Amino acid sequence: MASRDIVQYDTGLSRLLSVLAKVFLAAYVVWTILPFVIMIGSSMKDLLQAFTLPEVGDWAGTSALVHFTPTFKHYVALFTEESFGTYLSNSLLASVGSALLAVILGTSCAYSMSRYEFRGKKDLLFWIISTRMAPVVAVIVPLYAIFRNFGLVGTIPGLILAYTTFNLPFAIWMLKGFFDNVPYAVEEAAQCDGATRFQATLMILPLVAPGIGAFLVLCILFAWNDFLFATIIGSGAAKTLPAATKELVQPQNVQWGKIMAAGVVTTAPMMLLGLLIRRYLVAGLTMGAVKE
Amino acid sequence: MLIEAKTSFVTVDEDHDYAARTIDYEPENRNTAPRRRFHLYLMLPAIITLAAITIYPFFWLIYMSLHKIVIGGADRWVGLKNYAGLLTDEKNIQGWLMLAKYSGLCLSFEILVGVLLAVILNNSRFEKVLVTLVLMPMMMSPVVAGLLWYYLYNGTFGWYHWLFQSLGLLGETSILADYGSALWGVVIVDIWQWTPLITLIALAGLKRVPRDQVEAHMVDGAGPIRNFFAISLPNIYPFLLIGILLRFMDNFRFIDHILAMTGGGPGNSTRILPVYLFDVSFQFFKLGRGAAIAFTLLAVTIILGMILVRVFENPAQKKALANQKD
Amino acid sequence: MVALKIENVWKYYGDTVAVRDLNLECDDGEFVCMLGPSGCGKSSTMRMLAGLEHISSGDILLGDRRINDLAPKDRDIAMVFENYALYPHKTVAENIGNPLRLAKVAKHEIRKRVQEAADLLEIGHLLDRKPMELSGGQKQRVAIGRVIVRQPQIYLFDEPIAHLDAKLRARMRSELKHLQQHLGVTTVYVTHDQLEALSMADRIAVMHEGVLQQFGTPAEIYSNPVNAWVAGFVGEPAMNLIACSCAQEGNAVNLMHDGFKITLDDRLAKAALSSGERDLRLGVRPENVRLTADPDDGMIAGTVFSRQLLGSDMLVDVLSGGDHIRVRTDPKSPFEADEKCYVSFDFDHAHLFSAETGISIV
Repeated sequence: MASRDIVQYDTGLSRLLSVLAKVFLAAYVVWTILPFVIMIGSSMKDLLQAFTLPEVGDWAGTSALVHFTPTFKHYVALFTEESFGTYLSNSLLASVGSALLAVILGTSCAYSMSRYEFRGKKDLLFWIISTRMAPVVAVIVPLYAIFRNFGLVGTIPGLILAYTTFNLPFAIWMLKGFFDNVPYAVEEAAQCDGATRFQATLMILPLVAPGIGAFLVLCILFAWNDFLFATIIGSGAAKTLPAATKELVQPQNVQWGKIMAAGVVTTAPMMLLGLLIRRYLVAGLTMGAVKE
Repeated sequence: MLIEAKTSFVTVDEDHDYAARTIDYEPENRNTAPRRRFHLYLMLPAIITLAAITIYPFFWLIYMSLHKIVIGGADRWVGLKNYAGLLTDEKNIQGWLMLAKYSGLCLSFEILVGVLLAVILNNSRFEKVLVTLVLMPMMMSPVVAGLLWYYLYNGTFGWYHWLFQSLGLLGETSILADYGSALWGVVIVDIWQWTPLITLIALAGLKRVPRDQVEAHMVDGAGPIRNFFAISLPNIYPFLLIGILLRFMDNFRFIDHILAMTGGGPGNSTRILPVYLFDVSFQFFKLGRGAAIAFTLLAVTIILGMILVRVFENPAQKKALANQKD
Repeated sequence: MVALKIENVWKYYGDTVAVRDLNLECDDGEFVCMLGPSGCGKSSTMRMLAGLEHISSGDILLGDRRINDLAPKDRDIAMVFENYALYPHKTVAENIGNPLRLAKVAKHEIRKRVQEAADLLEIGHLLDRKPMELSGGQKQRVAIGRVIVRQPQIYLFDEPIAHLDAKLRARMRSELKHLQQHLGVTTVYVTHDQLEALSMADRIAVMHEGVLQQFGTPAEIYSNPVNAWVAGFVGEPAMNLIACSCAQEGNAVNLMHDGFKITLDDRLAKAALSSGERDLRLGVRPENVRLTADPDDGMIAGTVFSRQLLGSDMLVDVLSGGDHIRVRTDPKSPFEADEKCYVSFDFDHAHLFSAETGISIV
């Protein structure tokens, strides 16, 4: 909003500061982007070419970062030599499945948490939020033991359930905040219009639909990017992209070309999703404590 | 005409502002049976699911921490031996210290750089585009980020290794191969990935700095630097507090990039507690011992979580966060 | 015919009593205002009528049906909410048509009736807009449209125009009144604004602290308030309520005040004597006080404290014996601040209230 800009006057100091700020900004952007450039570049380079670095101190040699003959053989290899097609679909099934489960259960729970007062509500909410914060390494051992008893280890449903441990509390907590912002009078008006209590609830769902959509996407993102559950609970049979990418690192043979390509395949969809819900990102990553 | 003498009567308070109206009812504060049933049906599926996948494992964890777990055999009750062992387990203590050092390093850089970046980005010309650009690393799977940086650090063909060498910062040895520098190697990755979060949070705070405060300060004759310390910083402090707590807890939660890069080595130089816990459970399969470590880690996280929620719920904090919203 | 009957209704929130033993009857087609300050129980009563709150004890009858245990949708009511409570994601037409859609009325019929309602409210050209694109007044019309699209047994209005600006409010008062007469549906209207109640209602129920103070036509409420509270709450500028003590001297009955002594006329004197109360409050509306520059028998001396031009009238605040007496007078009134002046009361329109209980003596 231009009208809200604070008037700035030129002084020597402010000019110096603004130059320093521009330099810092440029450096930071390079620092952020460079790894991506190298990842994408290396994924499209022949291994020999990728492993060739300029001499130490030869700054002109950095042009090799962008000057190369692109090849898609690593990408092709992912889907022919390795079964990344399967891993991709595993990732999709597990993350979308768990996101849907979390958001469907979470929406109904969050609605009541928002509308209904009862004793111990605060404690219940704290329990819900604390399950979300628990370190994965700490809960994975008993979870593994239990899932093995139910034959869930190495299956997509097992993975979906495992992801639900962090996605469900997230969905409940975030959506409760969303419902809190919908005036109760709208539901009352609906009831006076002739709706049943349940119809009135359904009537306000479109109001929170953008939020539900955004948190669905965030749940997908969290699940998609997970590594520990995917390795331990997914264990071989239900391998997702991050787990499969890590497995390309073998003691004798680190297949860097494929790893970089796999990195791109794993990261690109999440980038797009992240851009899609850009508006809700801060709220989502701070558990609703900070809103943009 | 219906006029009755009234029993209850209060004289007119002429100063009372009858137009200042409050809601004289609370919605749904009467828990009648149908209402209770309606909400119970809505809440129970989620609560039961969550309980099944969190409380049940939690009790399993306690059980395991009190037993010697023999895979394929009968578990043996050992009481608190697993816990007692932790006190003398040098790697465990080392792990906690490492975790503290790792978190401290990550957080101080992330806050310093993150806030600086936020201040520069705030109201800059291409703010929207730049913010979007800068937050890209957050979308990346931490394990992929770890692998990517592992590649960048590589002693023979890593571009960043070449960069460090060219800048004269490093010799032949890769940053991850040296005891002294390996921790820095993993810290840098965390900084690369998560500084944007602090930036976003600080930026949200900066957007709510009351304009009149800045203007009053300018009229009083303060320059941009004084302005930052006197006005911006106090205003974004409540936001930063949340950022710090969240990042702190995430440092407990995410070890993916460390597993991808060093697996705790060289030696124990990057073996922060969660990594050690991973090793105990999944390398050495000492599940009882692992459960004991997990329990202590969980306890610390829950305490941190309580602090976080306390901060969330603090009225002053809430007010600060809500300041100038909309 | 009685359309709505509220019998011995109580409402508790925990230990707090919101409504205390309320009895009220509305006739068919009547426009009843429930008037009172915030927290007086009027909103709670309305929400009990709508079925949004449970009735703690007592009965509510709509026509001859006891509706205590019916859900809002089964009560045959329609309600306008204070903050409009429109569905933000639906268009104006969908908002207005919502009750008909829920009642499973045929599509073309809905369209026809929505159009009629919208035309009546002069929002026919806004049907495709979303509530976000409307002004406050337009939103309010949509909320009213949602109500009049049906012909329920009773309309409930919960402070429907409280958030509009003063000009629009005045216009809506007249329109709502016209609309209600035109549609002929029994209406209960909650407001804290006495002007709204006086100008629109057939009968007003004045409530205070959960208790119904008085139920009568606007004229009755205005000219015969049952107690000092109603007298002070209804009317703007407010009625002068002057604390005095009553004393008999020979044949005359006098009201003694720090600043003055006045002799009552026969009507007031009789009532004062028969009440046996010593401490009284004299109630006189500003328009029933006369202001002159020349003293005469029985006049009260004072000084002008301030003068406010209200447009068609002038409100002069006279200070006498430490009390302020508000006088409504001619806008060309020559009195300036700090000027000496004299006031006299029109006893035909004066009231006496017991200082202790506040109940009207005459």
